[in-house]
Amino acid sequence: MDGNDSVLSARGLRKDYGSGSGLVHAVRDVSLDLSEGEAVAIVGPSGCGKSTLLYLLGGLERPTAGTLQLAGRRLEQMPEAGLARLRRHALGFVFQAFHLVDELTALENVELPALLAGASPRKARERATALLEQVGLEDRLQHLPSALSGGERQRVAIARALANGPEVVLADEPTGNLDSAATTEVLRLFDRLHNDGQTLVVVTHDERIAATADRLITMRDGAFVDETKLTGGRARSLTEITGLDA
Amino acid sequence: MGRLLITWRLAIRDIERRRVQSALLLVMIVTTTTTLTIGLALHKVTDSPFARTRAATRGPDIVAQIIPPPSTQHGATRGFAPLIHAPGVAAVGGPYPIAFARLTTNGINVEAQAEGRDPGPAAIDQPALTAGRWISPGGVVIERGFADALGLHVGDAVHLNGRALRVVGIAVSTAQCFYPVSTPGVIWLTRRDAESLATRTQPIGYVLNLKLADPNSASAFENGNAATAFGNVTTNETETFLSSWQDTEQSDFKVVSVDQKVLLIVSTLLALLAIASIAVVVGSRMAEQTRRVGLLKAVGGTPLLVAAVLLAENLLLALAAAAVGVTLGQLVAPALTNLGNGLLGSPPTPPITASSAATVIVVAILVAACATIVPAIRGARTSTIRALNDPAHPPRRRPWLIALSARLPVPMLLAVRLVARRIRRSLLTAASITIAVTMVVAALTLEHNDQVRRQVSVIGTTTVAGRVTHLVFLLSAILIVLAALNAIFTTWATVIDAQRPTALAKALGATPGQITAGLATSQLAPGLLAACLGIPLGLALYQVAGGHVSEASPPVLWLLAVIPGTLIAVAVLTAIPARIGAGRSAADVLRSE
Repeated sequence: MDGNDSVLSARGLRKDYGSGSGLVHAVRDVSLDLSEGEAVAIVGPSGCGKSTLLYLLGGLERPTAGTLQLAGRRLEQMPEAGLARLRRHALGFVFQAFHLVDELTALENVELPALLAGASPRKARERATALLEQVGLEDRLQHLPSALSGGERQRVAIARALANGPEVVLADEPTGNLDSAATTEVLRLFDRLHNDGQTLVVVTHDERIAATADRLITMRDGAFVDETKLTGGRARSLTEITGLDA
Repeated sequence: MGRLLITWRLAIRDIERRRVQSALLLVMIVTTTTTLTIGLALHKVTDSPFARTRAATRGPDIVAQIIPPPSTQHGATRGFAPLIHAPGVAAVGGPYPIAFARLTTNGINVEAQAEGRDPGPAAIDQPALTAGRWISPGGVVIERGFADALGLHVGDAVHLNGRALRVVGIAVSTAQCFYPVSTPGVIWLTRRDAESLATRTQPIGYVLNLKLADPNSASAFENGNAATAFGNVTTNETETFLSSWQDTEQSDFKVVSVDQKVLLIVSTLLALLAIASIAVVVGSRMAEQTRRVGLLKAVGGTPLLVAAVLLAENLLLALAAAAVGVTLGQLVAPALTNLGNGLLGSPPTPPITASSAATVIVVAILVAACATIVPAIRGARTSTIRALNDPAHPPRRRPWLIALSARLPVPMLLAVRLVARRIRRSLLTAASITIAVTMVVAALTLEHNDQVRRQVSVIGTTTVAGRVTHLVFLLSAILIVLAALNAIFTTWATVIDAQRPTALAKALGATPGQITAGLATSQLAPGLLAACLGIPLGLALYQVAGGHVSEASPPVLWLLAVIPGTLIAVAVLTAIPARIGAGRSAADVLRSE
């Protein structure tokens, strides 16, 4: 794939921590191109550098070496403020620990990125309401995170990631803290996002979520060791893979 | 023994691991204990000084003076006869010769009242030495207020009417008001030295001290027949003066009461600020320690061990801080109390007594206990997992503030939501800044009042008003430093507490500039509130302390300048901790949870 046509492109990405005998190579010479609407799953054992790679791709960490391009803009030399502005519009994050603001309702959590991006309170509220309806939480708009189940919290987090219509959604173990039923809810949601053409990068241990991706990348010791195209550009449906009702 | 060792080891290791936090906590408790020490010392100064000095010096009930004209020097003391033989007089001291002489020292030339005394102690009015020894031939003792005004110390040389003498002592007395309430200043010297100072134009006068059988009748005595007979001497071109101890006390008290009020109010304000600081410190400490309790329980610690470790750690810090605080307070307090040198008082009293030091240490221990008990109880009552996962105080939801913030620019949105999370902390910050602003406004009003006085009279900076202004400015400076430290600590506590929401805001697209501005603005809000409250409170304080705001209110521009001044000061103080907070990697914070 030509990197210039990619939504997200990384070349020779490296991230080191520490120095001397304490030097740790968290990510080693990783290259990745992500085309529009593509879903990539990154799997690997704990500590192999998956999450670090995700934070590098999202501009939350600076690479030690290599180049990174998102929406046609180079990230590695971009100042912090520029990275923040890019994150607002081009990226959405979903975290394993949800990271919802405890004192905000589901609706207020979802409208937060739009408000940070300068949207009017009315537009932010309308968009957040629509997104929460999309994820099936229309009856939980005014609930605080503490009053929601794990699956519901993660659905709020996914709605929040979509608040500004990002080009890429980066998800770090989105089902890692969920029980089986909640995992299914979230899997369905990711499946639907993928079918709607949302570009996704998902770091996961969950084989079922990995199986819905277009590409499966395996990492070990900070490097890509295997890459598999699962469906030739379009994922199989969740129902097809897991036998669940869509 | 093993448990003690474990407790000690855990406490020391945790202090080492959290060096910055421990240092901040230490600084805050040192500041608080120093403040408390100074406050206690200031209270001592204002404790009925006139009565104590009068008792210590066997102060006279009535003081009479005769200044004969140059032509009739002989037999001048006969004028005291009606007083000496008056009914109700229990004892007589003197008469002592007095001379009005020019005193020169260090390039200063002032008039002095030189009073001749005996080398032995007097039964009535024996001035109490605060330094040096009593008079000897060629050696003079100077009244303390006068000595301070002239910058004289024991051993210094002075010239009286050109005659070289040496200062051998400094003392206080209640026979006359202290300098500069009473002028000229008083000097005691031997009778022979006093008499040698007489000139043709300034002859020797005499002073007589009386003790009455009933000291409370002194005012009545002053208006009685004997006094009238004594006053009639004036007809012979002889000047006479008579005053009761109540007159002197009243004149002194007019001055001292201003100082007393100022010191009393300021020491109360210092105590309030200390309480606000403690509340902020203990609150932020509890938040971080609840998780630690969970951790200790998870590795098998019993609730008792957990409490012991927390108590040991906090006690170590608090006792170290108390020791430093008492020492610093002891060093600083005399500088403040000495400002009131015109105040009477029992000078040998040390500024810090054992009971004051004990009070400070007890307060420090209470701080440690408060910082321990709540997390220990909370930790014992909550499950280990919950203590590990949940913050000590879940932030409160304030829907109206959240709704309001949605309409504001991003830094304001972040700031309002940070304030809403910990509104009590913001109120404490506002309280501490309000105290400082109140003092600044009171000081500005005093300064303005002094300027007005200087324009209409020739009162110099050595006047009592000037001294009070100076005192208020110095105490304001201390309050400002305390409030500044408080603001920095509160910002730091906010930064620590808001790590996750600010990291999340960064991940969602807030720039570091917006985060820094948000954190700083969250401290500016209490600053604005404090400035708005501090202006009327400062004027009210001035009024309560005996001033008249209607006459002395500073220009409106001065008062309005307090608002941007406060905001700029808060912004500068909070910018660095806010910048550090905003600079922390969002990935690190989000990954660690």
